Amino acid sequence: MAQETRVRESTGADANGHTAVGRRVTRLDGAAKVTGKTVYADDMKMPGMLHASVLYAPHAHARIKSLDTTRARAVPGVFAVITAADLPDYNRNDSNRTGLIFPDKEVLFYGQPVAAVLSEDPHVAEAAVEMIEAAFERLPEVLDAVAAMEKDSPLVRDPLHDVDRSEERGHVSVETKETEQEGEPSNIASSAPFERGDVAAGFAEADIVIDRTWRSAMVHQSYIEPHSTIADYDISGELRVWTSTQAPFHIRNELAQAFGLPENRIRVTATEVGGGFGGKIYLTELMVAALAIAVQRPVKYIMSRKDDMLAATPAPFAHIELKTGMKRDGTLTALQARLIYDSGAFPGAPMLPGCMLIGGYYRCDNIDIKGYEVLTNKVSVGALRAPGAHNATFAIESNMDLMANELGLDPLEVRLKNAVAEGDPMPNGQIYPAIGLRECLEAIADSDVWRRRRDVEAMPNRGIGLAVGGWLGGLQPASAIVCLNPDGTINVTVGSADITGTNTSFQQITAEVLNLPLDMVNVETGDTKTAPYAGMSAGSKTVYTVGRAVKAAAEDLRQQMFELAMKRLEVEPEDMEVANCQVQVKGAPDRAMTFKRFGRLSTNFGAPFPVIVGRGTISARKSAPGFTAQAAEVEVDPETGDVTLHGYAIAQDAGFAINPLSVEGQMQGGASQGIGIALWEEMQYDEHGRLLNPNLLDYRLPTSRDLPPIETIIVEVPSEEGPYGARIVGEPSIVAGAATIGNAIDNATGARVDEVPITPERLIRSMDKL
Amino acid sequence: MHTFEYEAPETIDEAVRLLKEAGGSARALAGGTDLVVQMKERATRFPYPVTVVSLDRISELHGVDFSDADGLRIGAGATMTDVATHPAVRERYAALAEGAGVVGSLQTMNMATIGGNVCNAAPSADTVPPLLVYEAEAVIVGPNGRRNLPIAELFRGPGETALAPDELLAELRLPLPAAGTGAVYERNTPRKQMDIAVVGVAVALTLSGDTIQRARVALGAVAPTPLRATSAEAALQGQTANEETFAKAAEAAVKDSSPITDLRASAEFRRHLVRVMTMRLLAEAANRAKGTS
Amino acid sequence: MMPKQLITLTVNGQEREIAVEPHWTLLETVREALNLTGSKEGCGTGDCGACTMTVDGRIVTSCLMLAPQANGRQVTTIEGLQSNGSLDPVQQAFIDTGGLQCGYCIPGMIVAARNLIDTNPSPTLDQIREGLGGNLCRCTGYAKIYEAVELAAERIREGA
Repeated sequence: MAQETRVRESTGADANGHTAVGRRVTRLDGAAKVTGKTVYADDMKMPGMLHASVLYAPHAHARIKSLDTTRARAVPGVFAVITAADLPDYNRNDSNRTGLIFPDKEVLFYGQPVAAVLSEDPHVAEAAVEMIEAAFERLPEVLDAVAAMEKDSPLVRDPLHDVDRSEERGHVSVETKETEQEGEPSNIASSAPFERGDVAAGFAEADIVIDRTWRSAMVHQSYIEPHSTIADYDISGELRVWTSTQAPFHIRNELAQAFGLPENRIRVTATEVGGGFGGKIYLTELMVAALAIAVQRPVKYIMSRKDDMLAATPAPFAHIELKTGMKRDGTLTALQARLIYDSGAFPGAPMLPGCMLIGGYYRCDNIDIKGYEVLTNKVSVGALRAPGAHNATFAIESNMDLMANELGLDPLEVRLKNAVAEGDPMPNGQIYPAIGLRECLEAIADSDVWRRRRDVEAMPNRGIGLAVGGWLGGLQPASAIVCLNPDGTINVTVGSADITGTNTSFQQITAEVLNLPLDMVNVETGDTKTAPYAGMSAGSKTVYTVGRAVKAAAEDLRQQMFELAMKRLEVEPEDMEVANCQVQVKGAPDRAMTFKRFGRLSTNFGAPFPVIVGRGTISARKSAPGFTAQAAEVEVDPETGDVTLHGYAIAQDAGFAINPLSVEGQMQGGASQGIGIALWEEMQYDEHGRLLNPNLLDYRLPTSRDLPPIETIIVEVPSEEGPYGARIVGEPSIVAGAATIGNAIDNATGARVDEVPITPERLIRSMDKL
Repeated sequence: MHTFEYEAPETIDEAVRLLKEAGGSARALAGGTDLVVQMKERATRFPYPVTVVSLDRISELHGVDFSDADGLRIGAGATMTDVATHPAVRERYAALAEGAGVVGSLQTMNMATIGGNVCNAAPSADTVPPLLVYEAEAVIVGPNGRRNLPIAELFRGPGETALAPDELLAELRLPLPAAGTGAVYERNTPRKQMDIAVVGVAVALTLSGDTIQRARVALGAVAPTPLRATSAEAALQGQTANEETFAKAAEAAVKDSSPITDLRASAEFRRHLVRVMTMRLLAEAANRAKGTS
Repeated sequence: MMPKQLITLTVNGQEREIAVEPHWTLLETVREALNLTGSKEGCGTGDCGACTMTVDGRIVTSCLMLAPQANGRQVTTIEGLQSNGSLDPVQQAFIDTGGLQCGYCIPGMIVAARNLIDTNPSPTLDQIREGLGGNLCRCTGYAKIYEAVELAAERIREGA
């Protein structure tokens, strides 16, 4: 049963002296969501709105011979048909997925948008798309990322130049030397080396060397709400966009560059996001804005599930060759890796974070890591919750388990022995700040799943596995405004999209600083015209950066009140405190001014005080990586390969859990996605690069019948810069699932599958039963 | 979806008349869980219907009735939930309850009909292997009256039945299983539900002591249509119900199958599953026949 | 194009007469003609459950039901669960256990959960997991949703 859950009132200070943070608080927006009142982009209607339906390329690589829209335009109810030739001017950059709306010469992946039909009736638009007569001449399809690296491979596309990597950096900040493909004919878009010590010597001193190749399939974020965007542009010259996104300010910036509009003439509203997971940053907004500019009417584009699976930004396939060496006493002596990430037809694969993590969990004097981002004629990839991480972690955590098994060492002890801690170097030489990897391992040892290990291993066909994961986190500046209302209540305005309950955390932080009951504080995400700048709600950094800004803004508000109160209370600010909804002399509640009084005195006609507005703005310079350790209990049917998950536990270092209820939710949600990656999820293509399963029947998300309750253990190793010591939270949880399950299956069966998802067929084959 | 004419007749005869008038350009709609999906995806095996004839107002198509004299009568419009939860089906035709009970989510079960599952004629249809082992009869109504067809003769190919464009499946009749019969249906799917079967197997064994008096084995998702594994049945007939017999029958079932490789599984893996599942379900059916399950 | 057919159905206890096209689904009709946008389209093919409503007391994926098929039927959507300004105990329980994040699956999930408890007032964990098998959630991993249904069932049994 659930622990003590509902807390909406401040019940006094806890053991740490906190009144609002560190409490299990229910979401601000809970009532609206459970009643169906919350407005998502598709729920919005506006006068004159047109629906867009898109024609997608039916080939993975082809020259566009002709595009005849005559019949489509003649369909009754069609307002317009827009191809590349009909688009308004924009700063096109064919090297970026988000720099190109519709191609005019060549399509590069199956599902690439080629044209759009607009109608007031979405059914008419959909029907008219089929009337567009498009003729293509097929070109060689390059579908295998490893083969695509060969010198004699056909080219996926024209060479890249001026690649814009700003979106990737929003997810994780990695300082390193990345070599971009610049104008040279090759399918390798970029590469990066990470070296330390002498791997040859390291392997020479190892008592066991494991050299394996690990592959992980392309997977899709599969947010339940598909991409949904509305744009409008009219005679006023302001471009208005309402869209399901994690990154409204990033979109504004990109649209400004695309159309040559000043940023203050673009207004982007992040509508409530029905799931993002890194996949809702900037994609459809460019096309929809262009359509709105072309027709000067509101245009709504809701991707069908099929369209979203074909043409959004899934996570890449990765092929990882990993050679590791270990001494008999469990010391890791050498790590050599070649990571190949399939980026699809445009660059943007998370090769760098993959490299950082494969060599980022364990101390090792000798490393040689090479990462490659390779182009293929597939849909281009984007971020999926800890991009690049689960692929790399599957590899290293599988190797670790294999080495431990060979040497007869305990898998937990071996990991503890080598785990990185504060002061240890990352693969790029950067030094880890305080982190909680060891603490997570110690915590998982205490989970129900791990504690019943011996009993489970004695049962036939059952096994327990363990793996670690982590994420470095992104860094971006942030800001917040906190206002005192005339009645003494508080409004907080931020620019960050609330995708994980972050606004509830901001409510708690503000209430903590001002020592107020939670309900006296309300939080709103403004749009790009009304809110101060915030980076993308991605890279797990929203509470870490915006939370700091909120805390700073609340502290600024408090300080202003203290200074204004000096004359009336006759003490210095250092002798004041906030308590009981008032500013009072420390320990003397009768010598006070209520918040309500401040509100009146700063807003009435002829009021003596200036309006009290707290401002917080920070730059984030120090990362606060978050680690996790997870354990799974599985049962395998030895003849069919069916895997049943009987138990799952996750320990994660949150630094300080501002809201343990929401942190647990992030842990369980991410873990479930990791499990999906381990067992069921895979985008499947045929030999011509056509996606075979663009639906939620054959692209298999875990259902409630597949997932048991997930045990959570929150570890807290405070970060240096995060509010109250909080560190990144949203992403680490997904990272370990693939390896955890793979290790559990090996424990149950002795069989090791070297690719995920570990389908029953792959498992049966690896057990040599076919 | 493209538009269409919509009719909602209240009798079978009226529905048949509408289908005949449409001359092949109409399609019957039951629960919609197959047809509406196909229409949305423009993936109908036939030309997109000009007219959709909904069967949801025809009360004669509903209902599940059982009697010891006549066995089971199921209206084609009975939903999966109706079939899977009916006490007589659960008790006397357990394999059919199992087939109807795994077709999909609860929502799908509430909408999908047994007639729709049969007439959509997917090779993987979950109610069909059970209907085959229970030797059901299809009662078909057309402009020229009624005809009965053994269920095994109903399927022509993937998505194709022996129904003429102006005929409707009205009901399914299942004879009373003989005393000493145990039957079971299972399918293999990657997730615990919500998937198309990779392989489906139904088995019905009638035992007298340990001797197999009558064996029926049916396979789904391993051939262009669901089918009876007749060589497996021959290998069981008159034999002792034991592991050795079951193993031979399982091998024979593999030979009866002709699976393809597709995005869900390879032919090789499907053959492996046919062997494994037939083996297991024969044991289960025998246990049920003996009342020891 | 003028809608072709008049249907009459009861939605959340209120009788409604609506002009529909036969190719509209019940989901579209409820969202567009009745402006009840709580029910969502997540896939359009009956695989995710975000469009779940009850029709004559049974949960269905309304994205696959044609509007005319709902003629004469009783439909309940998420908007029909609360009454007299109070949340249904299932809605409250989802808030209390943290069983929601982005919220997109939640209307369909809550309708399914309420229906489950109506038919089985004391569901076990396995029965809860089975009953919600047609409702996909991508955010929560279901763990706190199971807790919500257990809590709601307990409170309803105690007279909430």
